Amino acid sequence: MSDTSLAKPVTGPDASTWILLTPALGLVILFIVIPALLAIAGSFFTIGIGSTNWQFAGLANYTRALNDPIFWLALRNNLIMVVGSIVLQVGFGTVLAAILDRGLPRGSTLFRTIIFAPMVMSTIAVALIWLVIMDPNVGALNTLVKALGMQPPTQGWLGDPDIALWVILVIAMWQYTGFMMVLILAGLQGIPRELYEAAALDGARGLKAFRHITLPGIRNVLIVAVLITTIGGFKVFDLIFATTRGGPANATQVLGTYIYQQAFNLGNMGYANAISVVLLLIAVLLGWLQLQVSRRS
Amino acid sequence: MGSRFRWVQVLLYGFVSLWSLFVLLPTAWMVIGAFKTKREFFLDPLGMPASFDFDAFERAWGTGVGGFLLNSMFVTALSVLVIVVVSAMAAYVLARTDNRWMRLVYLVIVAGFAVPVQAVIIPLFQMVSGAGMLNSLFAIVLPYAAYGIPFTIILFYAFFLDFPRELEEAALLDGCRPVKTFFHIVLPLMGPAVASAAIFQAVFIWNEFLLALLMLTKPAVKTLTVGILQLGGEFTSDWAAIMAGLSIAVLPILTVFILAQKYFVRSLAGLGK
Repeated sequence: MSDTSLAKPVTGPDASTWILLTPALGLVILFIVIPALLAIAGSFFTIGIGSTNWQFAGLANYTRALNDPIFWLALRNNLIMVVGSIVLQVGFGTVLAAILDRGLPRGSTLFRTIIFAPMVMSTIAVALIWLVIMDPNVGALNTLVKALGMQPPTQGWLGDPDIALWVILVIAMWQYTGFMMVLILAGLQGIPRELYEAAALDGARGLKAFRHITLPGIRNVLIVAVLITTIGGFKVFDLIFATTRGGPANATQVLGTYIYQQAFNLGNMGYANAISVVLLLIAVLLGWLQLQVSRRS
Repeated sequence: MGSRFRWVQVLLYGFVSLWSLFVLLPTAWMVIGAFKTKREFFLDPLGMPASFDFDAFERAWGTGVGGFLLNSMFVTALSVLVIVVVSAMAAYVLARTDNRWMRLVYLVIVAGFAVPVQAVIIPLFQMVSGAGMLNSLFAIVLPYAAYGIPFTIILFYAFFLDFPRELEEAALLDGCRPVKTFFHIVLPLMGPAVASAAIFQAVFIWNEFLLALLMLTKPAVKTLTVGILQLGGEFTSDWAAIMAGLSIAVLPILTVFILAQKYFVRSLAGLGK
């Protein structure tokens, strides 16, 4: 048998193309694309716990969401997580990255390793560590706060609806600021040193150089950082599930925990699908934006 | 000028040191807590233990943490292996063929990157439970692989665009078919790219919670994230055992990170590019 395939111009996908492509494509279609389509389809039905009995409900699940104050509360809490995380994680991440990039003669690698480390811990473990730290009897936090002459909250750090979400924002900041720092640091290291040297000759140093060289140089990375944080703020689930389960009195309820509660605790699969579609649309839109910005740089 | 510069430097060191302490103290408190007695916990939450023995680790291990650890290792290793191999195969084809079909496939995969598992968890759970895939460590590898593939393909796709084609063309001229070329020529040269993708996915899967919570409900198959959450309920006031269990869950992945952080940081930097 003579092999003539080399002489032929490749016009379309041949067998070997599909052999290499099928496993990845199959898994993605089976476990991502089909469930996403089913979530959209399911949002127009009433589905009980048994989940075999689908009854067409039209837009009822969506009108229910529009009239459900807890849905709006959850969405509001997601927005607070998003804005708070951008301010804290991207904000402090930028400052830390700038310091590690040019501010320290030595020790940058050690500091980077330490500050980034919480990112690789499981959020469940992080949540549990902080739960014990904030425990009213054995926790380090109350002892510390009292030692400083202040009064810890009487209902506990996560038991007070007025502060619970802010406490969760601080835990998220503890875990993810290092991630933002590393991301932004990679952007900073891409800025040519000569730019700073030239600017220094013109008398621009410190904050002035930061504003005119550093910020424009990491513009795209900052946009990506903000988008990743935004997506993270909408997707937040583990941290809240392991600390408050959305309580007290829905004060920390977010879309992720509310979907879980409606679907797996209350058995309202159809309604939970409608909330899922809202989350899906937000995530896909933001993910698409992220890739557009990434591609441009 | 000189003294002002020194003060700025002290300030900068002060800030990063403070943040490092903020990160280190809770972690250290967790590890130290595993050695404290219940009495020591109540009397002085900030104090050090009188003696260092591993009783709490034994208690935690006795309730199944050892099994959770093995389950996590198994699921993580197998998932990462599947992700890396099938993503490399697919990314190779996508980077080497340019036509309408491939662009459509790439679009589907990139769209998959944006879909969060929380938003499709209801149909996904119904599908896997309908297929009898609950409580199987092998079965959970499939959705884990699926959610790791899109980002890995995006990483590898960029790698292949920079890969020297001359090597492949030489292999093709020697009569290697594309599948063989891929496994014998291309895959062995992917070292750094594979390391970056593998460590990134390993951390993600080691820490995954929602799918594990829903798919692995029997104690014998639970992974660490689900197992340690249950630990809190079992040792309602045995704080040392909880801290020991958390240490067992956190320290292995921290060690891996410290050893392989070069690759980890590289794959993260890829996110911003």
